[in-house]
Amino acid sequence: MNTLRLYCRSMAMLIKSQLQYPLSFLMQTLAQLVMEGGELLAVILLIDRFDRVNQWGPGDLYFFFGLMSVSFYLTEIFGRGLTGNFPSMVRNGQLDTLMLRPRGILTQVLCSGADPRRIACIAVGTVSLIMGSRISAIAWSPLKVLMMAESIFFSFWLILGLFMVEAILTIHSVKSIELANTLTYGGRSACEYPSDIYPRPLRILFTVVAPFALVMHVPASIILDKPLFGWPVWTGFVTPLAGLVLFFIMYMLFRKALKFYRSTGS
Amino acid sequence: METQYRGAVLGGLICQTFFGLVLVAIYRAMYAGKPQDMPLSNITTYVWLQQAFFRMLLSTDTDLLDRIRTGAIAYDLCRPLHLYGYYYSRVLAMKMTGSILRALPMLVIAALLPAGWGMCLPASVPALLAALAALILGMFCICALENVTMGLTMRTLDPRGVQALLNLLLMTFSGNILPLTLFPDSWQRAITLLPYAQMLDAPIRLYTGEYALGQAPAVMIIQLCWTVLLVAGGCLLWRANQKKMIVQGG
Amino acid sequence: MSYIFVDHLCKSFVVRKKREKGVLLREKETVHALQDVSFEIERGELVGYIGPNGAGKSTTVKILSGILVPDSGTVRVGGRTPWENRKEHVSHIGVVFGQRTQLWWDVPLLDSYSLLKDIYRVPEEKYRKRLDELTEALQLGDLLRTPLRLLSLGQRMRAELCGSLLHSPELLYLDEPTIGLDAVSKLALRDFLRWENAEKGTTILLTTHDMEDIVALCSRVMVLGHGSKLYDGGLQELLTQYDTTKTVQVEEHQNIDQVIASMYKNLGL
Repeated sequence: MNTLRLYCRSMAMLIKSQLQYPLSFLMQTLAQLVMEGGELLAVILLIDRFDRVNQWGPGDLYFFFGLMSVSFYLTEIFGRGLTGNFPSMVRNGQLDTLMLRPRGILTQVLCSGADPRRIACIAVGTVSLIMGSRISAIAWSPLKVLMMAESIFFSFWLILGLFMVEAILTIHSVKSIELANTLTYGGRSACEYPSDIYPRPLRILFTVVAPFALVMHVPASIILDKPLFGWPVWTGFVTPLAGLVLFFIMYMLFRKALKFYRSTGS
Repeated sequence: METQYRGAVLGGLICQTFFGLVLVAIYRAMYAGKPQDMPLSNITTYVWLQQAFFRMLLSTDTDLLDRIRTGAIAYDLCRPLHLYGYYYSRVLAMKMTGSILRALPMLVIAALLPAGWGMCLPASVPALLAALAALILGMFCICALENVTMGLTMRTLDPRGVQALLNLLLMTFSGNILPLTLFPDSWQRAITLLPYAQMLDAPIRLYTGEYALGQAPAVMIIQLCWTVLLVAGGCLLWRANQKKMIVQGG
Repeated sequence: MSYIFVDHLCKSFVVRKKREKGVLLREKETVHALQDVSFEIERGELVGYIGPNGAGKSTTVKILSGILVPDSGTVRVGGRTPWENRKEHVSHIGVVFGQRTQLWWDVPLLDSYSLLKDIYRVPEEKYRKRLDELTEALQLGDLLRTPLRLLSLGQRMRAELCGSLLHSPELLYLDEPTIGLDAVSKLALRDFLRWENAEKGTTILLTTHDMEDIVALCSRVMVLGHGSKLYDGGLQELLTQYDTTKTVQVEEHQNIDQVIASMYKNLGL
């Protein structure tokens, strides 16, 4: 509990320091809104031309887009320390400073950054979710609400785990943001659409390596009453756990990378 | 080549290939449900050419961006130098060396991909030549636009907001996020006239043959018009900025 | 056993060389940062640790503070092996890097300190007492509500020191604390270090290139060169040994830097 308290206090402080420049903060938040709005526009235009993909109608596609958008940017809000700060921390030696404190490195990294501007992207995602729910006329039940909440929760851990790829590469002094982006941002762009529209290799990639399909698409398809692969309802509660599994694997690799750092120095 | 640079090129290539494959897969799935008048191969070619050349669209001159952000640009603006010409040629040179060279390996990969997934051959040899000429004109146009953007950002206190907005317009209406050919048909006339369409969209359409060879002169006249307009606008903007700086005394 | 006990410490790094033309794999080169270094420091000592750039000073300190794991050798700090339980170990030490900050840039010092209190799990009561004590000794009272970015270099260093001592560490390691400071700030800083050492019994290890820091603070000096310990003893003796002008009293040395330079030269560094 002490760690959670530390995290909350760090967040409060970060927001306090960001609000020292309110105009800049507002402008950037607005920019985020426009950017994610552009992404949604692309989906709207595609649906305008093609109407549907496989069994997925317009509402279903908006729902998938919204689910990804909300989950991804939720992770960006809280995972900023990993994506934004960590690589430069390794390069300028700030990582040593973290090691000199009696706390876990990952805790401290996550405490070191937040990106509240992304709230604008989440707003766009929410709009898309509502659009999807309306058009597809989803019959909401407490079970479905729970399933969606669970999906978003485990998506958070999945994406946080993927963000750690770059951190791990950086420690091994591999400097390629673009390579790390392939899985994170590439995965986001691809899995805005249900994974069954992709050919087998990509489908396997999004099920096994970066399991967006298990964490998002399986529960979402059940919520839409069009279960992927015809799987029963309970699977929608089980498959999202894959997100936690991936996070755990990445966390282990991260610890291994730190061990490597401690034996080689910077 | 520096090792680190080589790593960045390779990483970028993998990333672009991945994004390209995903986009092609999406359009293939959509086409399977509702085929369009335009052949699918045109769309896949469009995607790969965008993946290869999109770097041209990104603002290249980080040095200038930093100078604007830190305010050091004020010193430049006070110098009795034809600043616009200087920065225009700088941007042009950077785009030539940085983006075009990095486009080549992407083109090779796209050409090697199996039919239906990769890039197709140009509609004809003259079409290829026309596309190349249009690409060069498009490049002049991009550089002019980038300088207008810079001129505008110099006027705002916090450039990041304005830049993000202009960037979104650029990425959307240049066909990077979604091929312009897939925008609603009723929009086509308007969006193909925008400056953003002159940069990559026009050359690509000439390459795939969507613009017939007979249309090439008209396309190039539009490109040229926009280039002249944007250069003129940029020049005026920079001069006004320069004057403002000198009046304010830096 | 002494408070700090270092025995036959070795550490080497593998550095990748630049790739040459025609060679497929880059050649690797082993750099011996520390070769068989041994020393002991008693609790409450104030020791200067000097040597030219790249001699292995910061490697030693990184090992002592548990960041780096050595290749071989024994290290005990207060009975602990630093790299075995990092979190436990670092809660007993404090480190100040001259050119790196551990405080938060945009928020008032007090907020930074309060967060450090949480990070180090310092009890509220103890924290208040310690903060009062440190703000008085470091004359930080008026600055506590100012963000770090608005402080001068000298004020910033004082703020840093306060931050790294809030959890009352047994051992303080300082890396070039006086770099870039003006004369007044330097003197104030030295006074404070002497006070902290004498009043609180904090063991202090100081690396610096400013020999006046050493003269003012340390009775014992260790000299490191090419990864080996070259000298360990009183400053006075060191100066007598290597002074080409043969002046006897420390105060009379015209230029200590000159003496040190001649020593480095003599030792073949």
